[in-house]
Amino acid sequence: MRAFLSQSEALHLLARSPLVIAAALVALLAIAGAALAPLIAPSDPYDLASFSLVDGLRPPAFLEGGDTRFLLGTDDQGRDMVSAILYGARLSLVIGLGALAFAAILGIGLGLAAGWIGGRFDALVMRIADVQLALPAILTALLVDGIARGLLPSGARDEVRIPVLVAAIGLSLWVDFARTARASTLRAKNEDYVQAAIAMGVHPARILFVEILPNVLGPLVVIATVDLASAILLEATLSFLGVGLPADAPSLGTLIRIGMQFLLSGEWWILWLPTAFLVALVVAINVMGDFLREIFDPRLR
Amino acid sequence: MTRSRPFSARLARGGISAIALSLALSLALSLPLAGPAAAETFRWATTTDPQTMDPHAVNAAPVTSFLNNVYEGLVRRDAEMAIEPSLATSWAPLEGEDGWRFTLREGVTFHDGSAFTADDVLFSYERAASEESDVRSWFAPVTEVRVVDDRTIDFVTSAPNPLFPDSIANFLIMDRGWAEANDAARPARDAENFATRNTNGTGPFRLAARDPGIETRLAPFDGWWDEARHNVTEAIYTPIGNPATGLAALLSGEIDMISPIPLQDVAQVEGREGFRVLEGLETRVIMLGFGHDRETLKYGADAGAPNPFLDPRVRRAVALAIDVETIDRIIMRGKAEPASQLLPAGLSGYSEANDAPLGFDEAAARALLAEAGHPDGFSFGLMCTNDRYINDEAVCRAVASMLARVGIDAELTVMPVRNYWEELRADNFDMYLLGWSPGTFDAEHPIRFLAATPNEETRVGSWNFGGWSNTRVDELLPLVQQELDPAARQAMLDEIAAILQEEVAYVPLYVEPLIWAAKANIDLVQRPDNFFMLRWVRVN
Amino acid sequence: MIPFIARRLVQSLFVMLAVAALAFALFRFVGDPVSQMTGVETAPQDMERLRVELGLTDPIPLQFARFVGDLVTGDFGYSYRTRQPVGEMIAQRVPATLELGLVALLISLVVGIPGGIYAALHPRAPGTQALLVGTLIGVSVPTFVIGILLIFLFGVKLGWLPTFGRGGTVDIGGWRTSLLTLDGWRALILPAITLGLYQLTLTLRLVRAEMMDVMRTDHIRFAMARGLPLGTIHYRHAFRNTLVPVVTIVALQFGGVIAFSVVTESVFQWPGLGLLFLESIRFVDIPVMAVYLVLIGFVFVVLNLLVDLLYAAIDPRIRVAGAA
Repeated sequence: MRAFLSQSEALHLLARSPLVIAAALVALLAIAGAALAPLIAPSDPYDLASFSLVDGLRPPAFLEGGDTRFLLGTDDQGRDMVSAILYGARLSLVIGLGALAFAAILGIGLGLAAGWIGGRFDALVMRIADVQLALPAILTALLVDGIARGLLPSGARDEVRIPVLVAAIGLSLWVDFARTARASTLRAKNEDYVQAAIAMGVHPARILFVEILPNVLGPLVVIATVDLASAILLEATLSFLGVGLPADAPSLGTLIRIGMQFLLSGEWWILWLPTAFLVALVVAINVMGDFLREIFDPRLR
Repeated sequence: MTRSRPFSARLARGGISAIALSLALSLALSLPLAGPAAAETFRWATTTDPQTMDPHAVNAAPVTSFLNNVYEGLVRRDAEMAIEPSLATSWAPLEGEDGWRFTLREGVTFHDGSAFTADDVLFSYERAASEESDVRSWFAPVTEVRVVDDRTIDFVTSAPNPLFPDSIANFLIMDRGWAEANDAARPARDAENFATRNTNGTGPFRLAARDPGIETRLAPFDGWWDEARHNVTEAIYTPIGNPATGLAALLSGEIDMISPIPLQDVAQVEGREGFRVLEGLETRVIMLGFGHDRETLKYGADAGAPNPFLDPRVRRAVALAIDVETIDRIIMRGKAEPASQLLPAGLSGYSEANDAPLGFDEAAARALLAEAGHPDGFSFGLMCTNDRYINDEAVCRAVASMLARVGIDAELTVMPVRNYWEELRADNFDMYLLGWSPGTFDAEHPIRFLAATPNEETRVGSWNFGGWSNTRVDELLPLVQQELDPAARQAMLDEIAAILQEEVAYVPLYVEPLIWAAKANIDLVQRPDNFFMLRWVRVN
Repeated sequence: MIPFIARRLVQSLFVMLAVAALAFALFRFVGDPVSQMTGVETAPQDMERLRVELGLTDPIPLQFARFVGDLVTGDFGYSYRTRQPVGEMIAQRVPATLELGLVALLISLVVGIPGGIYAALHPRAPGTQALLVGTLIGVSVPTFVIGILLIFLFGVKLGWLPTFGRGGTVDIGGWRTSLLTLDGWRALILPAITLGLYQLTLTLRLVRAEMMDVMRTDHIRFAMARGLPLGTIHYRHAFRNTLVPVVTIVALQFGGVIAFSVVTESVFQWPGLGLLFLESIRFVDIPVMAVYLVLIGFVFVVLNLLVDLLYAAIDPRIRVAGAA
């Protein structure tokens, strides 16, 4: 019953907002840069032998003391900042999107089902959600990381760090999806068109995904956009607490965490370049998310 | 490599010189006592709150350092770490048996006014050597303590123990009457007791208010036996865990002194009017250790392969591959000092004969690896902390990068210290980072803990995680412990230092720097053990 | 209504038990308390003895049973680190965190609700774009960076506000408040902004989305058709309808605010629960962590219960549906 925008309408909407165009460009550039990091980065920050401490703390090339080999300078290990940021953004996006997908699938699925089925199942899901909410995200992540640490031999831990992080962050985000999906399902269940569909014997899955889900997308996209930001920031906080990604395979969050040590020391580029990249990326994704929401939900136009 | 300077001179590089410091001290001494006319409130911060006010419950630097302002020992350390009289005025070896006789100071009172006697020392010994105490290992050599009279007490030891007086500088004396009346005759083990949050010492300051983890206030003790050099009328301590917040608190003037500040922020503080940085060297040596006692590697792509670190040539190659000077310049901002032994130059028992570090030589490292049968290198696991030593994680990453350049691939695992010792005790490493600060400020200490073959019975080698073992070192250790003649003792210590260097049992990297920052109007003394003594503070 | 409440209470009990189980499980993995409690010179035998004394070598189910039993009887045990009673340590820290959380929440509501309404009613205004982008940027910078920046701007550069701690506090019947002194408010404002920023963004966007949603509904259109004054329509009809989801999320957020104060408290050295919790993690102080976690769980469960009851009160259909 709710058609998406036609292509021309979407383009028209897009043309109205230069901000969205700018955000789209930024997001596109950042994502492309991250995706193509192995091809375009000057060096491989994971290859320990490719950089040297002797080159450490070089300012960006355009400043005094800069070196043309390092366009945006080097960090305290002599690692090229351009390469570190591109590879870092790649990891941050992989983790952020992974965690988001994890949370969205789990949360929306459970939320729709709980709202629809109701009764004991609903109570169970909502109680699990309560337990989940009762554990702060940081603790959830510590718990997941701890259990992984306990179950896996210590040699295997590094290989599963990314899946563990995705699960840890995803687990702390699914409840918002579930509650929103459930609340809207509860509301929609009493709407005439849904009651009508039930009376007509339409399959519940069809009602859920065709009639109810599209109506819930608005608030869900709001949650998703804000959550992508929090997923990336949560990863940074976890790295800060020592359960995130290691410094030798850093995400943007890890780079910021490392850079924090240089907040006041004069080597501003180690902190502010990855931070600027992260903020630009997240803001762009969020602006894009708002735009997408307008496309998904004509009521907001 | 430069010859080592005496420790006292080295401790005062940079910000403040030892000469100026002693001048300031003597000036302070010659002045008439400032009197209570001007209220001089002094506020300071460190990263970790002392977890208890009980001097025998926890053997941890934040506690011992803090409580040395409130409680006192029989002996104490002066600004240059030398032992000087405190509650004991003199001490001498016992005649006819092994041990020491201490003559106690007259006219000393505790903060509550009760008199200090030999019985309080006996009580404190019983308390500190009890099962509940965390410092009982200090008294392992003691077999008996006898009160001779009110002013005299004997500590009998199982063997000659020339360093005993030095080893009890942090053995703090508590009042028997006060402790027993308040049901605190033993340190709290499970639950707190009265002594956890209250004190009754003889020291220059008494506890005025205690809000654990938030704020602790000290007030000067008017009845202190020693002449007060400080002019502090109230001292307020706050723990600030976040280094940037601590620095902000100093720069905004809310606190007068902070320890430590991050190395990279030294320039920022020095560049500001009204602040200064105090730089010195701590007594802690940062080093790399190996898994000596296992046949195979545990981590990395070559897990399960024969352990290459069993070959001293490989260990030497590791040492040669690490460019300590560059680590010092970039990561430690030139504030550290390359080390060649398990303790810093200048401490008692340091081996001048083995002063030179191995140096940095990539080509030689590669040649040694090839000679040892690893021309293409190998892969192994390096364990490291990220919150224990200054810039520890950055140092480990640099080490991994430097080793990669000679072809050996260190798979780095970094963790907070809360998990670290457990992992090391479970042998979960091929190579690891360790910092060691000799508690007795003597060369025997690291040998006992790090170089002796681990032995549960004799309690030696308890921090020798890699299980390095050398019969000659094991043979020499008890002799060192009992030798009274300094020259003969030094000869044995030199021999051990030579063996450790030749065998590359550990790879000593550098001596950790000690960086404090204060307002320019504060006079204070930075002792190499990182203890902050209020009795030397003057607010100008 | 009474059976509804009774059922929710029973469910909440089970949630608390599950939280306790998770809390307990977590602590088996956070590190070794004994190596934190002892100095370098403690012999391995003494460490082992301490482990036995603390009950760390008992079977896990026994440890868990003891843990729950102690909690239920109000015996929160003693901190491994300070040896103080845990209940007392936590109670001392509660006011600081609650006040910080409440002020942060207040900031997020005072700015977020009007901001959201404005953005919903004027979707094309430059002010809306500025609000949306501004809050997005605010929420895109890691909390610890924001906090430190505020400290350096207002504490060090301008010297207007303190850089750490709670400032002047007044003790009222054991509740130490910083809300009664100017000094206390000065110390509170930066941490509260730092903590409230994230919630502010979420509240603003939520109010905006819900409000726009409601503005499209038939009864608002009908009201407009009837020619009611715009102000009445906006605030009497539209805003009221956005209240249900906003109340839900805001109430649930308060638990989140308390939990997320961990980072803010550590940056500002704010002597609340979060700081205590971080210190406890650092020292593997299991009893404190456990009680903190159960307490946070309890706050969440109570908030949840209140939200559900409120829901039921506002919208009777949910009560009926829930009872089915």
